[in-house]
Amino acid sequence: MRRLISTGIVVMFLLVFTAGCSSTQTSDSAVVAIPTDPEGFHPHHSVAAASGEIAFNIYEGLVKAAPDGSVIPALAEKWSISPDGLKYTFTLREKVKFHNGRDLTAEDVVYCLSRLIDPEISGKAVDFAGVESIEAEGNNVIISLQAPNAAFLALLTESGAAVYPPEEEENLFTRPVGTGPFVLAQWEPNSQLVLEKFADYWHPDLPKLAQVVLKIIPEPATAVNSLRTGHVDLIPRLEAEYLHQVEDAPDLKIIDSPMNLIQLLIINNAVPPFDDIRVRKAINYAVDREEIIEGAAWGMGSAVGSIISPAMDFWYKDLTGTYPHDPEQARALLAEAGYPDGFSASLHLPAPYPLHCSAGEILAAQLSRVGIDLNIQVVEWGTWLEQIYTNREFELTVVGLTGRLDPHTMLNRYQSGSGRNTSNFSSQEYDELLALGLQETDPEQRVAIYRELQSILAREAVNVFIMDPNQLAVMQENLQGWNNYPVYVLDLAALFWAK
Amino acid sequence: MYWAKKLASMLFTLLLVSVLTFLALFLLPGDPAMLILGTEADARSLELVRNQLGLDQPITTQYLNWLKGVLQGDFGESYTFSRGYSIAKLVACALHVTIPLAAGAIVLSLAFAIPLGTLAAGRRGGTLDKIILFFAQAGLSIPAFWLGILAIQFFAVYLGWFPPGNMPRWAADPLGAAASLVLPAVVLALPRTAVLTRIVRTAMLETLQEDYIRTARGKGVAESTVIFKHGLSNALIATSTVAGIQLIQLVAGTVVVEQVFSLPGLGRLILSAVLLRDLPLVQGAVFVGTAIVLTVNFLLDCLYPILDPRIKEVW
Repeated sequence: MRRLISTGIVVMFLLVFTAGCSSTQTSDSAVVAIPTDPEGFHPHHSVAAASGEIAFNIYEGLVKAAPDGSVIPALAEKWSISPDGLKYTFTLREKVKFHNGRDLTAEDVVYCLSRLIDPEISGKAVDFAGVESIEAEGNNVIISLQAPNAAFLALLTESGAAVYPPEEEENLFTRPVGTGPFVLAQWEPNSQLVLEKFADYWHPDLPKLAQVVLKIIPEPATAVNSLRTGHVDLIPRLEAEYLHQVEDAPDLKIIDSPMNLIQLLIINNAVPPFDDIRVRKAINYAVDREEIIEGAAWGMGSAVGSIISPAMDFWYKDLTGTYPHDPEQARALLAEAGYPDGFSASLHLPAPYPLHCSAGEILAAQLSRVGIDLNIQVVEWGTWLEQIYTNREFELTVVGLTGRLDPHTMLNRYQSGSGRNTSNFSSQEYDELLALGLQETDPEQRVAIYRELQSILAREAVNVFIMDPNQLAVMQENLQGWNNYPVYVLDLAALFWAK
Repeated sequence: MYWAKKLASMLFTLLLVSVLTFLALFLLPGDPAMLILGTEADARSLELVRNQLGLDQPITTQYLNWLKGVLQGDFGESYTFSRGYSIAKLVACALHVTIPLAAGAIVLSLAFAIPLGTLAAGRRGGTLDKIILFFAQAGLSIPAFWLGILAIQFFAVYLGWFPPGNMPRWAADPLGAAASLVLPAVVLALPRTAVLTRIVRTAMLETLQEDYIRTARGKGVAESTVIFKHGLSNALIATSTVAGIQLIQLVAGTVVVEQVFSLPGLGRLILSAVLLRDLPLVQGAVFVGTAIVLTVNFLLDCLYPILDPRIKEVW
């Protein structure tokens, strides 16, 4: 009798627990795993990448990014640029509604963009320093620039340029109100965010799902297990080291493409011996990119020779051939620079990024073969940002820099005196050409200038540009409509389940 | 008088902990503005964010402002999580995970340790005793994260009995929430069970050698009464002290298991807050954690006189 009772209790427990974990998948909702909470949804104050990628589904600006990296209409149905490149006229789409039910007006756009460019309010104002005025004229928004800025349209696709109703200003951090395909219905910090379909979205066919739940799962192994057991439908950015756990699963598929992030060895050009171009060239010759891609990214990446990713093929210049893997040449250059026996230096690696840490370890082994002995120090991200990125107290470091839609915002990292010039690179030729690129309105000329800038960085061996790792989006086989973007967004509106 | 002293020392400890946390975070390199802006930061945007967060004020002003808020019951707002979420709410959400988890783990380990320890003591030197001791040793040596990963692979991925992580809210899905806590509670309970089993066993052995046990046996009391009534009730005093310490460790020390099972508990909240240099959030969470630890300690102190009436006379 007693045995019967205890068996009964065990069975009951099992029933209760298995009932609790049955999959909740329905045809009009999907569960997406993301690693961290957003920092909030105020377009001008919330600048973390985790905020921007979700905000893409809630807010819209005049224009937005397409999966191929081009700029496409969003709130503006069309636009024209005056021949001198100074005046942009955007014509707003008719009958666009905010999530609070009100119609979008040109005045709303002027209000939001005026705050975006105000350095007292917005941290992103620096990018918009050349804006002369923003005015509403009927259904048009007219933006005048002080000087032509060919990067301007691409800047307007970024999350800061979102348009929201001014009356909702106060609560945007937790209750974002935009015009996008989804409404933020619930946010449980550290747990999940629930996006629900905005019924009055201007695009009649979007979004396709009624609900998307974003689960916060910091541990990639847990995310993979949840995907394999059907508790999660999509992992937008899987670390390459977990690939082997999903690639053979029959019900899962992987969509991969270059993510427009450049992994590079940043060399501090201002400290000896790295102020000697021969030493920097020697390091470039000593590095075997293919070995790093194979070892650190499990082969999922493209070798690069530039700070611009091949994902931005319009601007990209293939410079991978500038310094082929040639340890002999590296040793010769070191000897010429006065280091026939090599030297030792420090290499700082950012702890939270296993991809950059593994790449750094492989790179250190490669450099040791030409006599450069690297002392590896793994530092926490907060320390990295202060000591290396901001104070530039370092010799070598490996990190990833996220690409933007316009090459200027990537290439101006190497402008003398820029706060983001971690490499301490300085070249008058480079600075002048960079300034010229911004003013050039002829697209072909502009491409030529940006390709030349990339050539200068390669010629001067400023850094070692290693790879653009692939974005690995893993999802259930029958989930359709996913696109990887060359910018840091999650496009959830087009997702749907195949019948 | 005793109570007043106890309370005063509790408050002083809380204050001391808050000052130390503040200083520790202040001395760590890296600042929240840099972590928010990442590799896009430049001098101007950094200045703006610091100004918005109040980081441009001197450290003493920042601390006093924080203390003033706490005295009014306001823990302020986090830097990392949206400014619309109060720290009180974030910590409360985390406690909804950590407290049931810690309580579940301790109840589970007591439920196994007391009978196992008693059994082992009763069969001292026998085969059963050796088997129990062997498992107690093994339970102590297995690292929680490894066991957690194995448990997920087997019970969640292979058998599908439990979700492999990401706990739903209690209000939305109470069964699902409880189910997500089962595996982590078992993983947490295992090393505690091992420790407690050995404690119960040792305490029982000591008690069973006491004179009054011999007397009881001598006057013909049934062996089960000797062991449970006379032996166990005395052995529980030592056990309760250790169990209390274990519970305190669980409130603060579930971070590894929370990370492995993706549970949004207090440990994970504090860890991410430290990594992001979210000073007010670390302060608030550590403050609440300390308060819980002190309260548990205090309750234990109250429990002793019930378990051992002799202590009451000392008071």
